[in-house]
Amino acid sequence: MNTNLIIKPDKAVEAFYLFFIVHTLQIGAGLMGVPRIIFTESEADSWIAILLAGIYLHFVAWIMILILRKYDNADIIGIQCDVFGRWLGAVLGMVYVLYLFSILLSVIKNYIEVVQVFIFPEIPLWLMSSFLLSLMIYAVLGGFRVVVGTSFIFFLLTIWMVFTLAQPISYMDWDHFTPVFHTGFLDLMKGAYKTAYSVLGLEILFFVYPYIKNKQKISLPVHAGLALTTFLILLVTVVSIGYFSPEQLKETVWATLSLFKIISYPVVERFDFIAIALWMMVIIPNIVLFCWALIQSLNRLFQLPEKPSLYGVALLLFLASILIEYRVHIDKLTDWTSTLGFWLVFIYPVILYPLVLIRKRFRKENSI
Amino acid sequence: MEHSTLPLQLDNYLNTLKQQFNESPDLVQKVFHIKGQEVVIHFISYQIKKDRLERELLESLTKSDKPWSVHDLQNKIPLASSQTVSSMDQIAEHIIHGNVVVYLPGEKEAVAFLLPQQQTRALDRAETESLVFGPQLAFTESLVTNLNVIRWRLDTDDLVVEKLIVGDRIKSEVRVVYLKSLANEENVDTMRQRISDLKVSEVEDTSVLGQLIEDSSSSIFPQLINTELPDRFCNSISKGRIGVLVDKSPTALIGPMTLFSFFESTEDLYMRWNMGTFIRLLRFIAMALSIILTPMYVAALTYHYEIIPTSLLVSLGQSRAMVPFPPVLEALLLEMLIELLREAGARLPTKVGQTMGIVGGIVLGQAAVKAGFTSNILIIIIALSALASFTAPSYLMGTAIRIIRFPMIILAGAWGLIGITFALSFILIHLLKQKSLGRPYLAPIYPFQWKDINDSLIRLPFQKNDTRPLNVMPEDTSRYDQLKAAEKKDVDPS
Repeated sequence: MNTNLIIKPDKAVEAFYLFFIVHTLQIGAGLMGVPRIIFTESEADSWIAILLAGIYLHFVAWIMILILRKYDNADIIGIQCDVFGRWLGAVLGMVYVLYLFSILLSVIKNYIEVVQVFIFPEIPLWLMSSFLLSLMIYAVLGGFRVVVGTSFIFFLLTIWMVFTLAQPISYMDWDHFTPVFHTGFLDLMKGAYKTAYSVLGLEILFFVYPYIKNKQKISLPVHAGLALTTFLILLVTVVSIGYFSPEQLKETVWATLSLFKIISYPVVERFDFIAIALWMMVIIPNIVLFCWALIQSLNRLFQLPEKPSLYGVALLLFLASILIEYRVHIDKLTDWTSTLGFWLVFIYPVILYPLVLIRKRFRKENSI
Repeated sequence: MEHSTLPLQLDNYLNTLKQQFNESPDLVQKVFHIKGQEVVIHFISYQIKKDRLERELLESLTKSDKPWSVHDLQNKIPLASSQTVSSMDQIAEHIIHGNVVVYLPGEKEAVAFLLPQQQTRALDRAETESLVFGPQLAFTESLVTNLNVIRWRLDTDDLVVEKLIVGDRIKSEVRVVYLKSLANEENVDTMRQRISDLKVSEVEDTSVLGQLIEDSSSSIFPQLINTELPDRFCNSISKGRIGVLVDKSPTALIGPMTLFSFFESTEDLYMRWNMGTFIRLLRFIAMALSIILTPMYVAALTYHYEIIPTSLLVSLGQSRAMVPFPPVLEALLLEMLIELLREAGARLPTKVGQTMGIVGGIVLGQAAVKAGFTSNILIIIIALSALASFTAPSYLMGTAIRIIRFPMIILAGAWGLIGITFALSFILIHLLKQKSLGRPYLAPIYPFQWKDINDSLIRLPFQKNDTRPLNVMPEDTSRYDQLKAAEKKDVDPS
């Protein structure tokens, strides 16, 4: 396998779009329920935990960019094969494939469950999952440019929902944040660790890097995207903590969506219905980008042709999403995915970087 | 045909030609005897100007003092467009196109003189794309007249008009029009290639040609603009786009286009920028309303009555209390009614049409509510969205928007807001995949082009709007270099 990819110029996109790629991939199913998860660990100091997670996020992104810059035009599959050799590289590639598949599945399952709980208890599982999967197939068939376009357009169409939070903000009780710095360091770290599922998606950088035209300029959009993600999670969590009482928040599974419940306008009484339906537009860039990365990896690892593998993956996702029925299993899947994602996305690059450096030095000495 | 090439003797020649025209009674064959020489003239009586034939051709032909030769025919007769033809097929073709063919039996070539008479209507006001403000002229069915108008509007030698012939059985003349120094060469090549690669037996109209050469003919959205306005056509050409004219068609084709250009009207340019921007934004809002309003009504009433404000819910409930149908059926019924009115209005003779529209609209609407068929509020919503769909300056786009509504209403009836979001997402991804002459259809939103927003989503003053649309990739992008400099030379420099 070639470590570097050769990309036709008409398939590549500007670095500017990395902001949207990274950001839309991070914001998805996780954001719906993140306040409770962090709050159960870090209580009133959750905001510190999120900030810590955000700083670490930037650190990982920095490391990832350093790794990618060591190569001309490589993706993670190629880099792993270069560093670990053909066989071990392929095995690690399979880990990525597995991870991408399980995150796809968990995103789809979580959204379907939200729809069933909030607006449509009677909507069949297979229908919702075929809605999402058909959109995914349709977008991925359009190639990389359409995939990026999906994340860009859907970001523009959904980001305004942030401003509707103005109403819950006006009902906030600031006493919920005191006492400050009361939480122990360990609990803060736990809270930061629990943020992981909501901020997964950074790893897409490892896959799209070869497709970026002006590679010198990737730092700014990537970090800006991460900053916006951190800000949104911070905002949602802070508003939830201020709005709900601590006991209530611990009981509210999808706190973000529950916030939307009290938002009402002269023309719309209950905004949460519209918000949850529109959340589909937040989910679609997620599944489209993850699916593209998955198909891409399969193609790189096993030279699988893209169309059949796309249909195959969609079919597997469809079957899996029907078979997993209960909340307990979805939770288990989400937990498992976020653990795997934590190690793969937030720890692994830090280990990989020195290995890449050693490998490169070793190569150089060999060649001299 | 064995006798298809010249030279032929007189009788043989006349017979062959008669057969070629299926013994047509309109083919005039006349043999003159001038100075002992036989000269054959033929034409189709209604295809040529008779007075010019007599005055300019026959007079000089009969007044000659020595026998004619092919060379003399070409040089001594005071008609500018003469051509020599050498096969019977060519002769027939020239006769059809309004030539008078003169043949001296025994010669290798005949001479064709162009004296055409075309029945065309005069230039008229635009009907389907009428403007309130600005040039009112519309294209006609005659290619020559249309080219004449274009040459007059764009009087520069930079204008290139390429001639292509399309159609195997019935040939149509197609002209590709662009500015040489502006139009992107790849675009021109694409357009030319697609037209000349066509293997069809005939092309009925510009819009048919448009559908044949579009990037995706299965899409509901048109990818090339069909316009009947010369000012819109020339405006697009001067921005580096490429136009196509087809003979016998009163519309022209322009490409590459974006989705947003279907909501632009040249009127926006003629108005002041703030009004232009307002009206342009109004059209986008109208499009969004037109697509979303009825499905939202259906979704809200079928599943999510919680999203309707309490005060509205009461009056809505009252007006719907009598209605026996589910909201989907109610909405589909009324939408069909509006579409029927529109279609009937388009087909009916003008004099009856208006009356029928009013009677149909008002009487049917009133009666439908009185009879408990539909609710008042739905009538308002449907009328509003139908009205909104007619704001699109392009008729094809307006129709596309109206048709999109039907599947959306059905989806909304089946799965509420989820159905609507699914449909909207599908439309967006579909639009992302579209291309026009290989250029992205959703530009300048995606790929994002900040400079193009100036004159697509909104219209800024001309000083700010100093580049041509970049997604067309014009060879020269800058438009008003001197505008700012000119300001400094004003009379009152304070």
